Amino acid sequence: MSLRTTTAIIASKVTKKFLRLLGHGGTTLPGGVALKICPDLLGFLARDVGCVIITGTNGKTTSARIIEEMFDKAGLPCFANRSGANLITGVTAEFIDNCTVTGKPRKAWAILETDEAASKEICRLTDPEIVLVTNVFRDQLDRYGEVTHTLGNIITGIKNSPNAKVCLNADCSLSVSIADQVPNEILYFGVDVPIYKDPVNEVSDASHCIHCKHEYEYSYHTYGHLGGFFCPGCGFKRPERQLAVTEILSTDIGSTTVRIDCFGDLEELTINLPGGYNIYNAAGALAVAELMGFDRGLARDAASSFSCGFGRMEQFDLGMTKARMILIKNPAGCNQVLNFLTGLGEKALFVCCLNDRIADGTDVSWIWDVNFERLAEMGDRLDAVHVTGLRAYDMAVRLKYAGIPEDKLRVFDNYDELIDAMRSQQLPVVIMPTYTAMMELREKMSAAFGGRQFWE
Amino acid sequence: MKLSICHLYPDVLNLYGDTGNIICMKKRLEWRGIETEITDLAIGDTADFSQFDLFFVGGGQDFEQEVILEDLHKGKDREIISAIEDEKVFLAICGGYQMLGQYYRTRSGEQCDFIGALDLYTLASETRMIGNYMFECAPENGGTVVGFENHSGKTYLGAGVSPLGKVSRGFGNNGEDGTEGARYKNVFGTYCHGPLLPKNPQFADMLLLTALRRKYPDIFLPPLDDTLEIKAHDIMEMRLK
Repeated sequence: MSLRTTTAIIASKVTKKFLRLLGHGGTTLPGGVALKICPDLLGFLARDVGCVIITGTNGKTTSARIIEEMFDKAGLPCFANRSGANLITGVTAEFIDNCTVTGKPRKAWAILETDEAASKEICRLTDPEIVLVTNVFRDQLDRYGEVTHTLGNIITGIKNSPNAKVCLNADCSLSVSIADQVPNEILYFGVDVPIYKDPVNEVSDASHCIHCKHEYEYSYHTYGHLGGFFCPGCGFKRPERQLAVTEILSTDIGSTTVRIDCFGDLEELTINLPGGYNIYNAAGALAVAELMGFDRGLARDAASSFSCGFGRMEQFDLGMTKARMILIKNPAGCNQVLNFLTGLGEKALFVCCLNDRIADGTDVSWIWDVNFERLAEMGDRLDAVHVTGLRAYDMAVRLKYAGIPEDKLRVFDNYDELIDAMRSQQLPVVIMPTYTAMMELREKMSAAFGGRQFWE
Repeated sequence: MKLSICHLYPDVLNLYGDTGNIICMKKRLEWRGIETEITDLAIGDTADFSQFDLFFVGGGQDFEQEVILEDLHKGKDREIISAIEDEKVFLAICGGYQMLGQYYRTRSGEQCDFIGALDLYTLASETRMIGNYMFECAPENGGTVVGFENHSGKTYLGAGVSPLGKVSRGFGNNGEDGTEGARYKNVFGTYCHGPLLPKNPQFADMLLLTALRRKYPDIFLPPLDDTLEIKAHDIMEMRLK
């Protein structure tokens, strides 16, 4: 404890108060201020806090929410970077929020979702108890570079976590390749069966063996490159998993019920979010619960009762109908979202908001790797598609070439006009924004239709 | 009327939405009543190259490059060279563009031999040339093109090829000589993702027309309503100006 750390903590707390007075969320700047004054502050603040780190390409926020719910149910006080600010600044800000001016933690556990690249430093400073890697997909190549580079960052993060037990997705060949690079104890989770009746043809982010470059064979696929992979060249294959979904029992608009095998113990599990990708998020969270030694019933309860992160199926009441907001950020995730949404069977209005700021990815090319053709295939069930954002016309062009009739396509130059158009809606609305578009639109929609502020 | 398109290595060269170029060509032909046949040629696949009118090859990850080179050297390299000499149309992006050249040299000096169809070579560099960019082609060759570049290889053109365009914003081939891409016979090589064709309809039609004219010398492509495409193009052009 030094004068410098105290100064950093106070400066950060003051910055945050000030930003809140101005009506801003202030989820990263206070952390930035503190780190300027005391660069290793996070290490100091985390020394008496048990950390669970969640990293990987897709599903970090949802997995973290389920895990947080488990800690609550188990009576272990914890805090989390719930706003999704997952760089070192955001994580530091969260620690400062949860400590006294002298740096003493108020809660003993931290549930932290961390950006893959930032996980290197965050792991080194926090010395986590558990690291969960959800999956590894291509994501914002302009920021992270190639997928193998992302993988390298995650591996460094785990190497910087000598005391952590690690949960890996057994169905993801890229994730599994981490195992023999690190000395940590590994627990594998997965899904043993296909998730969808008619799987879509997707671009695979890992079609060839990471070790010998031979093409993988699969005994089944769940989505993307996930499934029962096997390399005929060198024998690299999906490992023995300790925890897995063995059967999809039922799916509906609000939830999925599956059978899960947890170290041989078969139970039914209801996940209170729809979409195949959320099955993996629940399985990953249950793996963390095993490592924490939580009661299995308690862990399953958490998965069926947690409240989802903002922008993950978050609902807004538009008066005559409801709007659901689902974050999109990369091809694999967006294809999953479309897979689910177009399968609902109800007529709906879709809204796509495409921004190209750094947090969205400055390269919008990825929208051409997404099967937006699925929207066109909805036929009459597709009422219209509204488009907005900094790159609205790029999105409009993509949708036009996906086969959406131009009379169903409308570009809005700003959010206010879009919100006005939503006020009179009678059909359900589905909003798919990129990250910064989601933050902006959420704020506008909360003001127009009511709802939480994002930092609450 | 029909255009036969060969998509080379869609299984591995499928980064950065480059497949959007295929979607775009297919639609722009379909809207004019021209049939399109698209053949995916993956690693290990063989085909009679003489049946194709237009070849497309996209960008990929460094990781998969070795696999492709091995496959190219099994005979596809010769097929590609003879199709190019036969004035077939090629659109090659980023990694696919580099691969038509002579070689790639890593920073440690290792040389990786490519197929040598075009007089150009690529050197690894420490700079990541990344961002929205813009280059100028002659009006009849597509005019002002906007897109996104993301490469660390610097490509240098030899005397046997001409640049595809002149960089007006961004890096282009190497960030040094102001050139972007390469043109040799009917080969169009470029670093332009975005993807290239949907947002640059003029360039797209020029490419399609070049391919169609080899088969149907008198063909005329009726104009399409490109309001959305031009708007997407112009917004980026304004931003970069």
